Amino acid sequence: MGDKCGAHTFPYMEIRNPSAVVEHEATTSKIADDQLFYCRSRGVSEEDAVNMIVNGFCKVVFKELPMEFAVEAQNLLAVSLEGSVG
Amino acid sequence: MLSIRDLHAQIGVRKILKGVNLEVKPGEVHAIMGPNGSGKSTLASVLAGRAGYEVTKGTAHYLGDDLLALEPEERARRGVFLAFQYPVEIPGVNNAYLLKAALNAVRKQRGLPDLDAFEFLALIKDKMKLMQMDESFLSRGVNEGFSGGEKKRNEILQMSVLEPTLALLDETDSGLDIDALRVVATGVNSLRSPERAIVMVTHYQRLLDYIEPDFVHVLSDGRILRTGDKSLALELEKRGYDWVKQEASAA
Repeated sequence: MGDKCGAHTFPYMEIRNPSAVVEHEATTSKIADDQLFYCRSRGVSEEDAVNMIVNGFCKVVFKELPMEFAVEAQNLLAVSLEGSVG
Repeated sequence: MLSIRDLHAQIGVRKILKGVNLEVKPGEVHAIMGPNGSGKSTLASVLAGRAGYEVTKGTAHYLGDDLLALEPEERARRGVFLAFQYPVEIPGVNNAYLLKAALNAVRKQRGLPDLDAFEFLALIKDKMKLMQMDESFLSRGVNEGFSGGEKKRNEILQMSVLEPTLALLDETDSGLDIDALRVVATGVNSLRSPERAIVMVTHYQRLLDYIEPDFVHVLSDGRILRTGDKSLALELEKRGYDWVKQEASAA
């Protein structure tokens, strides 16, 4: 697609339930920073570490999915994640 | 092996290390003690390359190279190992998988071929016996659902598999009961060798009963105020840290 485009997410939540507890993914991404450093401090490159962590996270989720979704999700995951965390 | 000169580091605007000097030679075991918030863990984190710390002054050289210029994974591959105070859980990532990737990264740097699954399994089972870990550990996620003691044992297991040149232990003894402490100490002691150096950060003299250090340093308010041998740790146990601070400020 060229080097002048990018994907950006703008997290936004509208909650109309006063008793709801909702959090943005910022909390998860903080954990991911620690996980990333843990892997890197063991000699694993940043990109390999990202792949490892995301794959692991998804594996936990995929276990809950029906078979046909799981296969598709696995294929999606195989798309390179290079530079996608930041 | 490790030479730290006038190291200053801060998190945000908060200055934590205010001129640390430390010289570590191969074969030596150093203990760094000090009150809460004195900068002990920061020192270990800065040396391992954790993000969020800004080094504002000073240097740290490891085997002649500028350690602080290297990426964390580069430091690890060259033989620096940090045993975490709070090892993180990584759900879905297998313990054995991460450790095998880590070991092969280190071996590559040392010019050794990758270990295959069988060789790796033989090696790790041997080390697990030493750390008294159950084999079910191999199939679990990294630190996933581990107790505090299991996490710390896992750190030392990783260390004994990776055979680092410079091992940094960040409060490895905290949260351990006496039995677990003994197992961890056995693991660390088995790694003592003339070409390896160990730097342990600890609160308690208790650990030093099991792992005898050559040097004990007192870190307080971001500086090493006093250096001694094992007897200094015993004196600290009896008298606390205040007298060290007073003597340092009087000098």
